[in-house]
Amino acid sequence: MAKHARCVPWEHAMSRRRWLGTTLGAAAGAYGLGGLWQPALAEQLQSRQRQVLFIWIDGGMSQLESWDPKPGTRFGGPFRAIPTSVPGIHVSELLPRSARLMDRLAIVRSLCTQDNSHSAGVARIQRGDPKNRGVTYPYFGSAVAKLLGAGQSGLPPYLWIKPGGGGFKYEDAGFLGAKYGALALGDGQPPENLLRHESLSADDDAARQALRRRANQRYAARRRPEVNDAHGYVFEMAAALMEQQELFTGQDDPRDVQRYGSHEFGRHMLKARKVLEAGVTFVKVNSYGWDTHGDNFNGHARLMPKFDQAFAAMIEDLEERGMLDHVLVIAMSEFGRTPRINGHVGRDHWPEAWSLAMAGCGLHKGLAVGQTNDEGTFVDTQPYDIGHMFHTWFKALGIDPQRTQYDNAGQPLPIAHDDCHAVAELLA
Amino acid sequence: MLLAVLTLPNVALWADQPLHPRIDALIAAAADGPLAAPADDSEFLRRLSLDLLGRIPSSQEVRDFLADTAPDKRRQAIDRLLASDESSRHLAQAFDVMLMERLGEHEEWSRYLAESFRQNKPWDQMVREMLFPDASSESLRGAGFFLSKRLENYGQNPVDMPGLVRDVGRLLLGIDVQCAQCHDHLFVDDYKQADYQGLFAYLGHTFVRTDVQFPAVGENLVEKKVEFSSVFEQQPMATGPRLPGGRELEIPVFSKDEAFEVPPDRKTRTPGVPRFRPLQLLAEELPRADNRLFVRNVVNRLWWLMLGRGLVHPLDLHHSDNPPSHPELLDLLADEFVAHQFDVRWLMRELALTEAYQRSSVLPEGADVPPADRFQVALEKPLSAEQILASLRVATGHEPPASPSTEKQADAEGVALRKTFQAALAAQPREPEVEIRPSVQAALFLSNNSLILKWLQPGEGTLISRLDKLKDPAQVADELYLSVLGRMPTDEERQETREYLASRPERRVEALGHLAWALLTSTEFCVNH
Repeated sequence: MAKHARCVPWEHAMSRRRWLGTTLGAAAGAYGLGGLWQPALAEQLQSRQRQVLFIWIDGGMSQLESWDPKPGTRFGGPFRAIPTSVPGIHVSELLPRSARLMDRLAIVRSLCTQDNSHSAGVARIQRGDPKNRGVTYPYFGSAVAKLLGAGQSGLPPYLWIKPGGGGFKYEDAGFLGAKYGALALGDGQPPENLLRHESLSADDDAARQALRRRANQRYAARRRPEVNDAHGYVFEMAAALMEQQELFTGQDDPRDVQRYGSHEFGRHMLKARKVLEAGVTFVKVNSYGWDTHGDNFNGHARLMPKFDQAFAAMIEDLEERGMLDHVLVIAMSEFGRTPRINGHVGRDHWPEAWSLAMAGCGLHKGLAVGQTNDEGTFVDTQPYDIGHMFHTWFKALGIDPQRTQYDNAGQPLPIAHDDCHAVAELLA
Repeated sequence: MLLAVLTLPNVALWADQPLHPRIDALIAAAADGPLAAPADDSEFLRRLSLDLLGRIPSSQEVRDFLADTAPDKRRQAIDRLLASDESSRHLAQAFDVMLMERLGEHEEWSRYLAESFRQNKPWDQMVREMLFPDASSESLRGAGFFLSKRLENYGQNPVDMPGLVRDVGRLLLGIDVQCAQCHDHLFVDDYKQADYQGLFAYLGHTFVRTDVQFPAVGENLVEKKVEFSSVFEQQPMATGPRLPGGRELEIPVFSKDEAFEVPPDRKTRTPGVPRFRPLQLLAEELPRADNRLFVRNVVNRLWWLMLGRGLVHPLDLHHSDNPPSHPELLDLLADEFVAHQFDVRWLMRELALTEAYQRSSVLPEGADVPPADRFQVALEKPLSAEQILASLRVATGHEPPASPSTEKQADAEGVALRKTFQAALAAQPREPEVEIRPSVQAALFLSNNSLILKWLQPGEGTLISRLDKLKDPAQVADELYLSVLGRMPTDEERQETREYLASRPERRVEALGHLAWALLTSTEFCVNH
């Protein structure tokens, strides 16, 4: 297909809708959120379910105060660099716990992306900056939900733990259609209407559900099967979700709370570990408030320890549980921050040279890919865009981005930017 | 099959017949297997009430209808319901969902729709008022919301002008030309880039007026054609305003001081009124009897509203590779609709009178499941969030909430209820509500939300209190099934009710609540069958 270089980015929503429209004729599994329980498309993945923890550091973590410190230089700021468990790799002193785990981590210091505004950057990064083909691409979470499916957990494949409101967030799914959206646990709380009403006992609920099923059987006996199958199916899925409510409401072990931190991000990361343990395919955790245009250094001095604490606790727990083999952990922002320190002792948006951290799922351990120049202003080695990261992540998840395509109502679409490739150094 | 040959109609000879038998003759001629039996009175009344009033009938309405012995009671019911204020409010609601696709609400738009359907305003007139809203008329200016809402920024995104062009094409002409924005459509040969750009030339210069509180659209000067080229061929092209299949309009040249009829006023921020106003021309050119796309689109959408599937389906993909399931029928509906001055209620009445509409959704004994586009068996239709809300209220013995157009006077509670139900049950903005699409979110809402449990409590005139007073379990079952499902229970269902109540003698009110909840969340209640 020829390039659509001049095709401006408004969605071909017809195709997306047709996708939704056709669900009625499909198997019962394809309904509403019910579709989230569809079996994985790639059968070879069934044997060992791979999962993703995607930590979204919203607003832009400073690479200079985290994974790529430049102490003692013009733009380096006040913090020192400290050695890590990998000789030769130093990180900011604001990451003491993560530094001790560096031999489990892989960091990339040579990210060079494009958008420097939040509104464009957040979407562009989380969509993997696909070339413009006139459709709205899914966020990474929806893409993984589509490509890996829900596994056997009985839970939706894409959970999003975030401060603020929760609910069913369809927007992330783009042309894949609403059913690949996120189920958001606002402030870590269970989704609305998940909990059985207090006036109703479990036995009574079971009794009324049995009555409902019998009513549906009588209705369906004499009618086309599709509508009743679909309608009954979402109630069964709702019941399955309700059975897991302990996961959303249960008490946290105080020792865990201490290790992850009793702050919001720590509590949300602990919740993330629990739902990963329960088998959710993709978990996104948001941390807000990183847009430090003013007072960058006090800001990072306040924010980084919370991140460091919860991130390190998570890596330790995943490893201890043997989950790091099949859980891909990614911690990143929409861009880094300017090396130049502005008049408000802040750093602004800087997509030219920044860093991210990863672990698990077969990625090489204990390495730092790429480097920036002495003052951290630009990338000295081969620059990597978000498209390279998407290729790398898909490969780590066992999905070949060269061979796998979306089928958007007949329009074949690559799952990752077709001018990019995986970062070979990161992959086993 | 012999029957089909004998009844093959000659539409021209039948011209003095009412429309509905001619529709049925065409459907029968194209049938591919047995037709379902006529719906019984309960099934018919429930369907009619949902389609024309937006709610299920109350148990008393069902009882009265079942007891009515008049041979033409169905015709009477159709006329009675169509004449009611409730039907005007429901049609306004249904058209709001169809035309705005949950983009947003505006009081003046709701009032405009309600008043238009109360007057049974011809469809072509409504479309003229929507495309060239008269800002000077308090009763008509709300129509501007159709355009003005689509000219707002949404979220952090700028105005989605291609989305507006697309929606005018989809909703008023039945063609989705969005994918022909940058090149001729890749899958649909009929949709040319020039069609998109010609429609864009009517709309691309418009903006939301911010100098007034009501929905209003302004027009900038249009002095030259829209220039475009295909991303594949890079050949420069240009077009003035042109409807698909229509003629291109000249763009007049004015000297600088003559370009405005009323020049803009910077002080009051009042936009100018250009002498050349493509919106006015669009309002003249688009909703016309000789614009076949316009006429076919609306009759196809009314057919879908009543019969559950478009003769052309999807509704917004009219083109030669997606022909109507019944080509003659679509032409007949279009011709007759024009001959009856675009009278929406007249066409709905004729459709409600057809055997096709009044067939059962129960499959004929022993036959294969027929294709949906043959209309041999009634199709199950989705219920909107508003229909579910109103029906739940009626079923549980509560007043349905007031409609948006009257809420000024009343009922903050009704507004809140509607918003709650829309959030849980309606589609996302820009997603058409055409198919049945159950969701886990909706199932959780109906299962656990405290509102519905509250409506299943005893109280003055509520369902549970009415049932609680009845001592004979058979009577309980009758009233329960009439109230919730609009029909009498079967013997098996009476038996089930009796046994369930007998198993919980100490907790009768709760047991009644369980029985009612099970029916309220059943497929039979949640779809229009």
